[in-house]
Amino acid sequence: MKRNGLRALGLMSCAIVFVSLIGFAVDLYDIAANEEVPEISKAAGLNLVDDYISAYTAEELADLAANGATPGIRLAADRALFKLNDGLLALVVLDQDTLYAMAAAGDQDAAEAWVFNARASYKRPEVVEEAIATCQVETIEIALGELLGGSYGPGSPIGQKPKDELLRLVVGDSLGLRIAAATALTTYWIQEGRLAIPQVENAIRANSGVNPELALAHQGLLAYLYGEE
Amino acid sequence: MRKTLILVGLLAACSLAALGQGYDTMPADAHVIPIGVEGTVYEDMELGVRGGTLHIPNIEDPKAWNNHTAKETSTTWFTYRMHRGLMNLDHISGAVVPDFAKSYEISEDGLVITFHLREGINWSDGTPITADDVLFTFNDVITNEDVDCNARPGMILPDGTFPICEKVDDYTVTFTLSTIYRPILNQMTFSLMPKHKLAQYVHKLNPDVPAGTFNETWTLDMDLSELVGNGPWIVTDYQVNVSVTMERNPYYYGYDPAGTQLPYYDKIVSHIVANQDVSMLKFRNGEVDVYAMRPEDIPILLPEGPSKGFQVMVTDLAQYGTTWICPNLDIGLADGTDEEKRELYRNVEFREAIAHLLDKDTMVQNVLNGLGTAQWTGVSVPSPFYAGRDEYGGPTTENDAVWFEYDPALAASKLDALGVVDQDGDGWRDLPSGAPLTIEINANDNTIRIAYCLIIQDDLRAVGLNANFQVVDFNTLVNRLLGATGDIIQLGLTGGDEPNSGKNVYTSCGNLHAYRYSACEDPDEVDLRIDELMDLGANTFDLDEAFDYYKEYQILLAHQLGYIYLCQPTFLYTYYDYVGNAFMASPTSTPGGNNGLLTELCFDKRL
Repeated sequence: MKRNGLRALGLMSCAIVFVSLIGFAVDLYDIAANEEVPEISKAAGLNLVDDYISAYTAEELADLAANGATPGIRLAADRALFKLNDGLLALVVLDQDTLYAMAAAGDQDAAEAWVFNARASYKRPEVVEEAIATCQVETIEIALGELLGGSYGPGSPIGQKPKDELLRLVVGDSLGLRIAAATALTTYWIQEGRLAIPQVENAIRANSGVNPELALAHQGLLAYLYGEE
Repeated sequence: MRKTLILVGLLAACSLAALGQGYDTMPADAHVIPIGVEGTVYEDMELGVRGGTLHIPNIEDPKAWNNHTAKETSTTWFTYRMHRGLMNLDHISGAVVPDFAKSYEISEDGLVITFHLREGINWSDGTPITADDVLFTFNDVITNEDVDCNARPGMILPDGTFPICEKVDDYTVTFTLSTIYRPILNQMTFSLMPKHKLAQYVHKLNPDVPAGTFNETWTLDMDLSELVGNGPWIVTDYQVNVSVTMERNPYYYGYDPAGTQLPYYDKIVSHIVANQDVSMLKFRNGEVDVYAMRPEDIPILLPEGPSKGFQVMVTDLAQYGTTWICPNLDIGLADGTDEEKRELYRNVEFREAIAHLLDKDTMVQNVLNGLGTAQWTGVSVPSPFYAGRDEYGGPTTENDAVWFEYDPALAASKLDALGVVDQDGDGWRDLPSGAPLTIEINANDNTIRIAYCLIIQDDLRAVGLNANFQVVDFNTLVNRLLGATGDIIQLGLTGGDEPNSGKNVYTSCGNLHAYRYSACEDPDEVDLRIDELMDLGANTFDLDEAFDYYKEYQILLAHQLGYIYLCQPTFLYTYYDYVGNAFMASPTSTPGGNNGLLTELCFDKRL
C-alpha cells in the first residue's frame, strides 16, 4: 500500500516536473545537464532545487550530489538535499567548535552556520575584514566574505562600496574580499536590471576559470534571471 | 485512520459553527478604513483581496487566551487580535481614534465622555454586541478587585478614582470622570469581552463560582470553539511548541472602501520557534512571510532580498523610548558637599557645553552601526505628540527640534566663559575657584551604553574636562539615579504615545525627576511651566491643543537639558514582496507585531 502510494506520488512528481519544464522559456534542465561552463550550469541548477526535491528521493539526491554529470546537476541535488534536511536550521544548533571542525574539514554549510551563529560579533565591516585577513579556514573565509558582501552592497547602512571598487576587489588577492565583492555586485546588478541573459552568459564565459569570483558574481545574476524566465 | 478523519472533520465543523456565518451585507455601522483614499495616511496603501494565510514567527507559546488577565506579550499577541476596544490606535498614525465606538463626544465641562457604539455588529459567534458588554468589561472585569486585571491601574484618574461607566441605551455608554483627564481616552482601548460567555465566571455576578474564578478562565486547555471575540481574528487551533492558528472573524466590523470585509487574510499561522535566529532562518527559507530583523541580520538578508523577493526595510524611524545622560543637579546636596560643582551643574550654560560635546553621529555610526537616530526630547519620535512634527499625528519635519550640534570648540568657549579653565597647569579644567573638577560617568554593563559612555568620556577629555567612565551594576546605577547620589548617569526609558505618561519623570515632583529632585521643593520658572504644560496637555480633549502644549513642553525640556538625549535605534523590518501593504510597517505597527493593527490590512498579492 505504502509502496503504491509512493509510486503514485512519483508519477505525480514527474507530471509536476514535466509541467514546470513546459513553462520554462529557457530549458534549465538542458543547461544544467549540458552546459560546459560550470557557472552557467550551476545558475540553471540553482533553479531546479525545488523540482529535484519533488522528483528524487534523499538517496537519489545524495547520489546525484556526489556523482551527477555536471556542476549544475550536482549543485541542484546538493542544495535540494540540504533543504530537505532543514538546511541551516539543522546546523546552527550545533556548537561552534563542532561547526568549526566541520568547516575546517571542508564543509561549506558548516562554515555558513558558524558565521551565522557568530554574526553578532561581526556587525561592523572592518571587523569582518580583519577576520578575513587572519582566517585560516577557507570555507569560513568564504562564509565571512558572503557576510561582508551584505555590508558592501546596495542598501547597506554601513560599509557600502561603489561598484568600481567592488570590480577591483573581486579580482584582488584576498579570497574573502573577492567573495564579498562578488556578493555585493550580484545584488547591484539584480537591482539595476540592465543586463540580459545573453550578456551575462557571455560575461561568465569570458571570466570562468580566469576570474572565478567575477564569474561567480555573474552566476548569481544569471540564476536570478533564469528564475525570472 | 477513518475514525481519525471523521474526528478531524467534526472538529472542523465545530470550529466553523463557533465562528458563525458572517454578515449578509456590509453593516451600516461598519468601520471603513480609508485604504488608498487620497489625503489620508492610508493613501499609499492598496486595496487587497481576501484569502491566503499569513505565516508569522513567534518565539514563545501563549500562556492563556484571557486578555484581561494576560501578563505577557506572548499572550496579548493573540488576544489583541481577538478583541478590540471602544478606541484604538490608528493603524498608521498611532493616534487614538474611535474603533468599536463609531464616535464619541465630550461634555462641555469635560467630565462626561459619551461613546456611541456600532449597531448591528456581532461577536464572532453571531451574538450581538451591546452596551451591556462594555459595562460588563469595565465594571465587572477591569475595575473588579476580584479579577487580576492589568488594565485596572491605567483606569485610575489623578484623584485616585475610577471613571463611572453607565449605560444610556443598548448602543450608548457614558464614562463620567471626577476630573478632566484626556489620557483616559488611551485607556478606552481596553479589549471588550463577551458578557454572554464570561459573566458566568465572575463571582460578583454568579456567586455560585468561587472568587477569582475569572482569573482561571480561558486558559490554554479550554475548548477553543468557546473563544469569542470582536477583533479581526479568533484562535482556532493551538499546537504546543509548534503553532497557533487564527482564522478570520466572520463578524468583524472592519471593511475597506470597496466594501471588502477585513481582514484580507483568511488565516494567520503563528509559528512558535526556539529563538530569533530560527525566525530569521525560517524567513530566509520562505517558511514565514515577515520578520522583525535585528542589525546583525542585515548583511545576510540584504544580498538575498532581490533574488528571493523580499524587502529589507532599513529606516531612519526611531523606535519608542529615550536614551540619555543625566547630570545630577543635586550633587552633594544631601550631605552638603560639592557645592561649587552643584552650582556649575545647575548652570544651563555648562549643560549646554556638555550637550555640544555629545557626538551623536559617531554614536549612531560606531555604536548602532548606522542604524540609529539622534534624539533631542523626552517624547518618543513615533508618538503623534512628538514635537518634531508640525501638527498632531503629522509627518516628522523636525522643524521645531532643538539641537545642540556637536561642536567641541563652542563647548570649550562656553566652559572658558564660565571660568571652567585649567588653573594649575595639569591639563584639566578646574572649577572657577581653582578646585579640581572631576566628572564620573556611570552606566551598567551594557555594550551599547558602555560604548556611548566611552565616546562621551573621550570628547569631554578632549576639551580638558577630567571625565572618567565607570561601569557599575544595574541596581547600583538605579540607586544612584533615584537617590541623587550619582554624578552623570547614562540610562534610558521606555516610551509610548502619550507624553503625560512621562509625568513621573518630567514634572518637578515626579519620582523619576532624577536630574533635580529638589525641584519639587524649589522649582524654577521652567519647572513650573513644564508642570503646568503637562497638566494642560492632559486636561484638554482637543488633540491639536494638547499637541501645542506638549510641543512647548518638549522645547522647554530640550533647553532645560536635565536629561540630555543621545540616540535611539531605528526601526528595521523585512517582508516578502507578496505581502501587500507590509511596506507600511513602522514602529506603530507591523504585520507580525504585538498590536496586530497592520496585520488586518495586509494581503496576499499572489492571489
